[in-house]
Formats: sequence, structure tokens, C-alpha cells
Amino acid sequence: MNYDLTPEQLSIKDNFTKFCTKEIEPRAAMLDEAAHEEVAKLMKENIKKMAGIGYLGIGHEEAYGGMNLDLISQAIAGEAVASACASTFLSCGASSGLFGMPLRLFGTEAQKKKYLPGIIKGEIIGCFGLTEPEAGSDAASIKTTAVKQGDKWILNGTKTFITNATIADAALIFAYDDKAKGPGAGVTCFLVEKGTKGFSAGKPFDKMGFRGSPTAELILVDCEVPDSAVLGTVGNGFIQAMQTLEYGRIGMATVCLGIAAKCLELANKYSKERKVFGRPINRFQDIAFKLADMLIMSDTARLLIYQAAWAKETNQPESAVLASVAKVWASETASQIAHLAVQVHGGYGYMKEYPVERLFRDARLGEIGEGTSEIQRILIAKDLIRKYAA
Amino acid sequence: MEFGYTEEQLMFRDSVYKYAKKEIVPLVEEADLHGEFSMEVWRKLGEMGLLGLPFPEELGGSGASVVTCCLSTEALGHAGVDQGHLLALGAHTYLCTDTIYKHGTPEQLKKYVPKLASGEWIGCMGLTEPGAGSDAGSITTTAVKKGDKWILNGTKTFITNAPVCNVCVVYATVDKALKHNGITAFIIERGFPGFSTGTPFHKMGVRASSTSEVIMDNCEVPEENLLGEVGKGFGYTHETLSWDRSALLAPFIGGMQFAIEACTKYSQERVQFGKPINAFQAIQHKLADMKIVKEAAKMAVYQVAHDKDSGKPLNHMHTSLAKAIVGDWGMKAASDAVQVFGGYGYIHEYPIERFLRDAKLGQIGGGTSEVQRLIISRILSFM
Repeated sequence: MNYDLTPEQLSIKDNFTKFCTKEIEPRAAMLDEAAHEEVAKLMKENIKKMAGIGYLGIGHEEAYGGMNLDLISQAIAGEAVASACASTFLSCGASSGLFGMPLRLFGTEAQKKKYLPGIIKGEIIGCFGLTEPEAGSDAASIKTTAVKQGDKWILNGTKTFITNATIADAALIFAYDDKAKGPGAGVTCFLVEKGTKGFSAGKPFDKMGFRGSPTAELILVDCEVPDSAVLGTVGNGFIQAMQTLEYGRIGMATVCLGIAAKCLELANKYSKERKVFGRPINRFQDIAFKLADMLIMSDTARLLIYQAAWAKETNQPESAVLASVAKVWASETASQIAHLAVQVHGGYGYMKEYPVERLFRDARLGEIGEGTSEIQRILIAKDLIRKYAA
Repeated sequence: MEFGYTEEQLMFRDSVYKYAKKEIVPLVEEADLHGEFSMEVWRKLGEMGLLGLPFPEELGGSGASVVTCCLSTEALGHAGVDQGHLLALGAHTYLCTDTIYKHGTPEQLKKYVPKLASGEWIGCMGLTEPGAGSDAGSITTTAVKKGDKWILNGTKTFITNAPVCNVCVVYATVDKALKHNGITAFIIERGFPGFSTGTPFHKMGVRASSTSEVIMDNCEVPEENLLGEVGKGFGYTHETLSWDRSALLAPFIGGMQFAIEACTKYSQERVQFGKPINAFQAIQHKLADMKIVKEAAKMAVYQVAHDKDSGKPLNHMHTSLAKAIVGDWGMKAASDAVQVFGGYGYIHEYPIERFLRDAKLGQIGGGTSEVQRLIISRILSFM
């Protein structure tokens, strides 16, 4: 047992914090408030910037240009990115993680060679198309279909809430190739490139938060892809998606932690400057204890994320449960922390000039994205029932 | 950074768990119900070597690391040993014996540590007073040097193990004007003239630990029973904090795991509306919430243990974090556990009722939840 970061991890923390504070954080408010076309441009630039210091390749093999770092290091870097700009974390994560990780885990050599170097350099942007208008928590109920015709596949269906949909060069699309086989054997994942006939992105959604990261539908109308677009093997798609989401849960927990840590930093600073009744507001227990609560919740979130990352990295039997535990804790406490940060700021917390206004809106996604809190709790409970109710 | 245990630690944890389940757990329900400290439980804890784990072998201990000490108290809680006896173990081993071990003279170590480590003697620690709880620096018990003796006067309260103790580490001030810097530690044996303990309190929870006042009425303490240096006592109490926030909190983590398992099992057996209640999401969510809290508490508590094993200076952020999580979120988890058991969760015969009563102490004993927030917010104000 060792809670200490390695010297390498400490330097990752330091480097990413410095870089993101200088290069990314000053653009966060601009991204949040920009019009859709502008968002696409700004986010592509941010992805390029992050690729420049290796972030898009942090979890990828060196052979493709990656840094191949462990999951704890990825969480450390991720917290720094998310603290600076949660939208940037999300778009980078959708490209390098949700799109890149299944490629790393299940892709053929040719597929990896084709996409990963570009993803890592920030020249190709990826996205992950699983969710549909009527299939969110119940991902097995997707309706998108894939029909084999000769050496081609014809895809039909609509994906929704897809991060990066409007800026992506390539997407992973999950579709039933054989509904009768059920999700375990009847779903296949396809690599679909922008510009493929019958493939298009919808109009970007207007979201409450994460407004700097574009989200839209992906529409497939008789979309034709070659057989070489199948990721890994036919019928393995649902398992691929579920394994990817385990990483995604640690990622969503990490972005929540970044938001929470920034909220604490800003509220703590403000509470020392703001004076009422003749003294700084942090001298009042009402405020001081709110700050303490923020620290208690966010520091614990960090520990749970590191634990989940370690468990996944070292294949602990409980790794999936620990990812869910970290995700629920980090997301629900981030919402509370953001709420407290706005409260500490009083009226100013409600104004766009103060970043906590944006952080409050961003935080709210955590309990929904990558599997709602409700789904995580069901997963955790089912595991307990399987172990102890026999 | 890694969060695994060694093979040896896991084996030790499992052996403690099995031993406790077989030898100790059958005794604790009665003890809790009647609010009586069980000497039989104590003897069995001693026989397994669990009352002197961190001390060197030549003093009757096993030289265990802090993480191993935590694993042992966590395993005891997990097996179902009540928090009362575990608090007695904690106060004895980590608040009393360890203070003697850390600051005692060679003669004091030889005289007290082996007898305490085996459990032949029971130890307690007296800091809190009727007028000095969270504000521990304001104690008023006095120590005045007269010839080769110290004369102590004052009353300590809420002292775990006091009614059954043979030895008490008492903090008194040699000069109130010196404030913290006047606080001095003494080793008092039952039988010293002027030393007595009060009638045991009736407590809400941790009922099998016996708690009372400690009264010093012109209590005569020989010079050789001064512990450490004059005026350094307040620092010693701070050192015990790292134990208080690790090995003394670990039993609550074990207790949470016990409750999770009991609730999961019960909710499978209990059928309502034609199905086991754990088929309802409202129950599933409570089970999940308990598991989430347990993981959070475990990570926070073992962080303190790791700090201490690495020889780092006391990190107040870490210790207060652990205490706040175990205290406040543990209370929520215990309440959820009672809720899963419904009416049966309110009845003593079922194993969950006492968890809620015990959990409440986590928010009060050894530093309230409010004091933890005070400490954290003071550190934040300098960040």
C-alpha cells in the first residue's frame, strides 16, 4: 500500500497544471459562450494544443506516438485539464478515450495504424456512437441496424448526445447485425468516416453546460461501409462498448473532480478577499465549513478515482464496481461542491464574469453522462447481491 | 501509488476475522445489551495478540505496521465484534500504551508495556474534562510538584476504560498561564492515593466499553511516573491523533462491511409484494450507497495509516478528512442499514440496530465533526 505519487506522476501533475493554466484556462469562458461554429473552431485548436503536450496519446502505445502511461497518471493529467476547462477534457476524452481506447483494445493493426497516430497528434478527431434517442441507460435496446450486402455493410439508425459529433473525422457506431442473437453476440461496432455517403451529423445541441464541447446526433441513412470497417470481430460490439465505458466512468469521475477542485480553489480565494461585517467571509463558520465540506468531498473523490484507476490497471476483481463507486461519488459531490461554490460567491456566483457560474452548469452532467448515478448504483448493488445474497 | 496489501497482511486479516467470528462475536450481543464490558472478550483479544500489535516483540507486541494494525481492527469490525469492545481496544492500545511506549523511560516501558500489551492490565487515557472537550488546551486539572511527588487535582470525563483500568495516562497543567505549554503527562496506577473512577455512564452506543469520570483528589504521583517532559503533553495528545484517525476508525469500516453483507443477505430473504426486497431499486440504491461510503472511508483511513507508516509528519488535512468521512457519512450508512431491515432494524436482537447507535459516536468522540471542519478550514485559509 502506497499513497504517494511517483516522481514521474508528480511531474505530470506539475507540467499539465502549468500548461493548462496558461494555454487552456484563459479560453474556457470564451468556448462556453461562443456560437456553435466558433465552438467547433476553438475546440479543434484546443485539441491540437493538448495533443502538442502528448495528452491525446497519454494512454496509447508508443508505437503510434503515445506515452502509454498508467491510468493513475492519466487521471492526474485529466484533473489538470478538467480544472482548466471541462469541455476540453470531454472532447479530448471522446476522441482519445472513447474512440481511441476501443481501437487500442480491439482494433486490427491496419485500423490502429490508420487512426491512432492522427488521434494522438490531434489531426483526427474521433467520437463514440452508442446512445440513441430511445436507448440511454438501457444500451442493449439500440435500434441501429447493420445489414451485410456482399462485402459491404449497410447501416441505418440515429445516434444522439454524441460528444464531438460535429467536429469528428471518424466515429464508432454500434449497431445490431443480428437482433435475434441479443446484445451479447448480435451487436457490431463499425468505424465510420466523415464524408461517407449516408452519414451525417445533426445540428449541435444547446446544452446547459459543457457548451464548449459540441454535441449532436449522428444520422445513418443507408450508410455504406466496407467490411474492413468492422472493429475487431462481428458480434463483439456490446462487450467492446461496456469495457470502454469502464474507462469512461473513471474519465467522467475525473472531469467532475477537476470541476470540484477548481470550485474549491476559486471559492477559497474569494472567501479571503470578500469582506462583510468587517472581516473576510472565511472567518465565519458558515463559509469556512462550506469550504471544509468542499475539500472533504473532493479529496475523497480523488482517492476513489486513484483506487479505481489502480484497480483497472492491475485487473483487480472489483475494478468495475470501484469505477462505478468513484463515478457516483465524484459526480454527486461535484454537484454539491459547485452549489457551495456559487453560494460562497453570493450574487457574483450567479454572474458569468465569475467562472463558478459555468462550473455549476458543467458539474450537472456528471450524474448523467457515461451511465447515470442510478445505473451505477444498480451495478454496485447487483454485484453485492451476487456476492453476499447467495 | 498502489492500494494492495501484502500476502502476509491478507493472511493475518483473515485469521483475525475467523478467530473473532468464532470466539468473540457470540459474546458481544449480551455485553452490548447490558452495557457491560466483557473480560472474556478482553482475554480473547489478548490471547490473539491484538492488544499490543504495534509494540516490539521484546515488550510483548508483534512490531506490526500501522496498516496491519488497521487491518486487524477492521477485520474485528467486519466479523461483527461490537464497536464498544473495539473502542476499549483502541483506547487501551493506541491512546494509553502507545503514549507510554513513545515517551516513557526504559523503566516505564519495562514496567507497563508488557502487562498492557498482553491485556493483563487495562489502560486508559484522560484528557477531556467537563469544561474542556473540543477546546482540549483549556484543561484545568493541575499538577504541583511537592518534594519527590506530584500532586494532581481535577476531574476527567468521558474516559473510555476508566472503570476497569489499572493504568491511566493523565494530562494535567503545571501552570495554566503557560496554556498548551503547561500540559504534562503522568502515568497513574489504580491504587495511587487520591485516584478514583466514577460510576460508569449509560451510553447510547459503544455500550460494552465502560466509560466514566476519573477523579484526582490530591492524587499522589511519584516523580518516576512523570511521562516524558514537563510541558510537552499537548504534543503527545497530537501524536495519538494519527492512531485515533487510523486504527481507531478502521473498526467502523469493518462494521460497514458487516452491515453491507447483513443487509444484502437480509434483503434477499425478506419478501414483499411477491419478491425479495433487493429486487426493488429503492433497496438496491441503499446497498450501493453503503458500499460507496465504505470505499470512501477505507481510502481516507488507510491514507492516514500510510502517512504514519512512512514516518511523515501528521497531516491534519488527512486525519480530519478520515474522521469526517467515517463520522458523517458513516452515520448515513448506518441509518440506511437500519432502513433496509425495516422494523427489525429497530430491534436489538437483529445485528443492525446497534450500528446506528455506535455510528453516532463517530461524529463526536476523539474530535467532533465540527472540529474537523474547523481544522480543515484553517488550513484552507493559508492555502
